[in-house]
Amino acid sequence: MDAIRADELIGLFQSWRDLFAAERDFLIALDGKVGDSDLGITMSKSFAAAYDTVAAEGAAAGLTKLLRSAGAIMAKTAPSTMGTLTATGFLRGAKALEGKDAIGTAEAAAFWRAYATGIAERGKAKLGDKTILDVLDPVAGVLEAQAASGAALAPAMAAAADEAEAALERTKTMKAQHGKAAVFQEQTVGLQDAGATVGVFLVKAMSGYVAG
Amino acid sequence: MKKFLNDPADFVDEMLEGIYRAHPQVTYVNDDKRCLVVAKPKAGKVGIATGGGSGHLPLFLGYVGDNMLDGCAVGGVFQSPSADQMHEVTKYIDQGAGVLYIYGNYTGDIINFDMAAELADIDGITVKQVIGNDDIASSVVGEEHKRRGVAGIFFVYKAAGAAAANGLSLDEVTRLADKARANVRTIGVALSSCVVPEIGHATFSVGEDEMEIGMGIHGEPGISRKKLAPADAVVDEMMERVFAELPAGKGDEFAVLVNGLGGTPKEELYILFRRVSQLFEARGSKVKYVWIGEFATAMEMAGASISVLKLDAELDPLVAAPVNTPFFAHYTA
Repeated sequence: MDAIRADELIGLFQSWRDLFAAERDFLIALDGKVGDSDLGITMSKSFAAAYDTVAAEGAAAGLTKLLRSAGAIMAKTAPSTMGTLTATGFLRGAKALEGKDAIGTAEAAAFWRAYATGIAERGKAKLGDKTILDVLDPVAGVLEAQAASGAALAPAMAAAADEAEAALERTKTMKAQHGKAAVFQEQTVGLQDAGATVGVFLVKAMSGYVAG
Repeated sequence: MKKFLNDPADFVDEMLEGIYRAHPQVTYVNDDKRCLVVAKPKAGKVGIATGGGSGHLPLFLGYVGDNMLDGCAVGGVFQSPSADQMHEVTKYIDQGAGVLYIYGNYTGDIINFDMAAELADIDGITVKQVIGNDDIASSVVGEEHKRRGVAGIFFVYKAAGAAAANGLSLDEVTRLADKARANVRTIGVALSSCVVPEIGHATFSVGEDEMEIGMGIHGEPGISRKKLAPADAVVDEMMERVFAELPAGKGDEFAVLVNGLGGTPKEELYILFRRVSQLFEARGSKVKYVWIGEFATAMEMAGASISVLKLDAELDPLVAAPVNTPFFAHYTA
């Protein structure tokens, strides 16, 4: 697939929904080590609601309207911090793609850059704080480089997914600065961050979807 | 723990049911009792919304009424309400002139109000924000943006409410609210802990003969814990910090709020105010407006806070304006 149009976007939300349903218990366990265990519930609920919403609106609504609706319903469904941050990402991504009807490599770069920036602003997080930002910022960087070199969407997303994995590995050496995990700063060293793991899931599912 | 409860899990919602039965001037939207709004919004007026955790009555919802606030998103005890609840309140109170959010500087509230503002923006509603940060004990001078919002937000509500009632624009209401915010300082002292109903035991402990100056309204650690001193000495120590930031000289005018945290009798609040008033008098300053009672509590915490607003020609008439809300009425002759 060399571009994601409104039709395919609905399919992508289905992939995200299925992945977060499958990984629900894994995320609950991961978050439970230093957080309050609600991450798996938040993510599975919010992506289920997002898929239902975009499927109901249909492709005719258009690419950016679907992304906006997904963000809005996520904010409504899962009022936890991570749910709000994920929702913010989709709203900002929608804004960045205003006027576009397809996501190619350049649009994917713009989307993830806006997603990461939105999360950083809303969550008042910076790089190295051991958050989802530590995955999404390098992912956006890789996609920007891929777009500059003229790569097609599928190989560009594959490179982004590899970078996401590597970035997640790097969060293990960081100390948590935000949320309940911050209380356990020292003990978080060696653990992969739960929010950053969500970031990897988002990017990998998108990569897998455009490869298929 | 001795509390009047049915099921602790129903604490907030049953409190709200009582509010709606007692005060028909407020109601709720979206079939959600936690989205509290004025029953009769005024056409064309800038809407003012607040929100925050429960456990602080009259804060936050108690100031929704005539010439003060138009809506409030209500959270669980000491928990932020959701962005969605804030958004629903926003949609209802917007009369086409935009909406101002006024709330305290707490991470959860900020994330959710920011999110609500973004959702409102999609609906074409302009939202501005003023974030209360009056608690001088919670961070040093120069780091005011880290300070928590406590009882001093009352003055921000009052200034903004009066400005909006006068028909001013969203930009003007925001500017005046922010001016009140920048000119109010609060310092608190706690004598005992609060109990969150669903937890069921004291959040922290203060010794029988101890006080903690600067403790937050959720039990956040203060500046110093020491042996309880006579009331005048406690006020002197607290007001020294206030005067360091809000210089009070000859002819300066102020509004003062002496606030009980939930477990302190009004008699003691007046003993505190007596000394506050003496200190202003000694400096040749005038305390032009005084409110004493419970305005922002922390469940049953014993203790008090003192909020001081420095007045000027713009803020004075706004603070003096009459209001009528379920928890606070102020009539003028």
